Amino acid sequence: MTLSPELPVDDGILLSFPKGLVGFPQLTNFRLFEPLDGYPLKFLQAVTAPEISFTCIDPVAVKSDYEVPLGEEEAEALALESPQEALVLTLVVIPEDPRGMTTNLAGPLVINVRTLTGFQIVLNSDKFPLRYPILAQD
Amino acid sequence: MLVITRKQEQSIIIGGEVEVIVLGISREGVRLGIKAPRSVQVHRREVFEAIAAENRAAAEARVPVQNAAALLRAAQARKPESR
Repeated sequence: MTLSPELPVDDGILLSFPKGLVGFPQLTNFRLFEPLDGYPLKFLQAVTAPEISFTCIDPVAVKSDYEVPLGEEEAEALALESPQEALVLTLVVIPEDPRGMTTNLAGPLVINVRTLTGFQIVLNSDKFPLRYPILAQD
Repeated sequence: MLVITRKQEQSIIIGGEVEVIVLGISREGVRLGIKAPRSVQVHRREVFEAIAAENRAAAEARVPVQNAAALLRAAQARKPESR
């Protein structure tokens, strides 16, 4: 899927991740918003632990042919009725020198924009690097 | 930790709905088959831990996110010419 449905994230939208994120099973409710002057980055902020914000991005802005191969079971768990309902985000790691920032294409977040429910999918393939450089290295 | 000895073709059942079967044993390793409901995610531990580590790192920006965002916007503006 290479989809990025319009979502009014300016003020933030509340999302539910029933299984949390990998390694963070206790965090199940998030606010997705764009921090001031943060475009194209977004924050996924834990509602119960606001000090925890995951930086994320629309991966298509980074790698235009990025597609998440969703299994039937995952589409079912997400209650996706059509691919247009899926919003895909990937998490961004910003090191001390931000030119080296990477995004994790192996663990995308797939969000049903109708139910506002999401899951982190684990892709186990060399095609999906854990640390994909966002900025072309000149 | 519960420790159980199993032979090839034998299995264990966890929680009444997850079955782990020993398919083969060789010098290279043990081949396991896992039958679980679709709602149960099964991952190799190292894959799971690598994703968890990246998640932790994504929650620990060392520079203001605005600096990174400005770099991204500049790169996007350059894109049409350079690619």
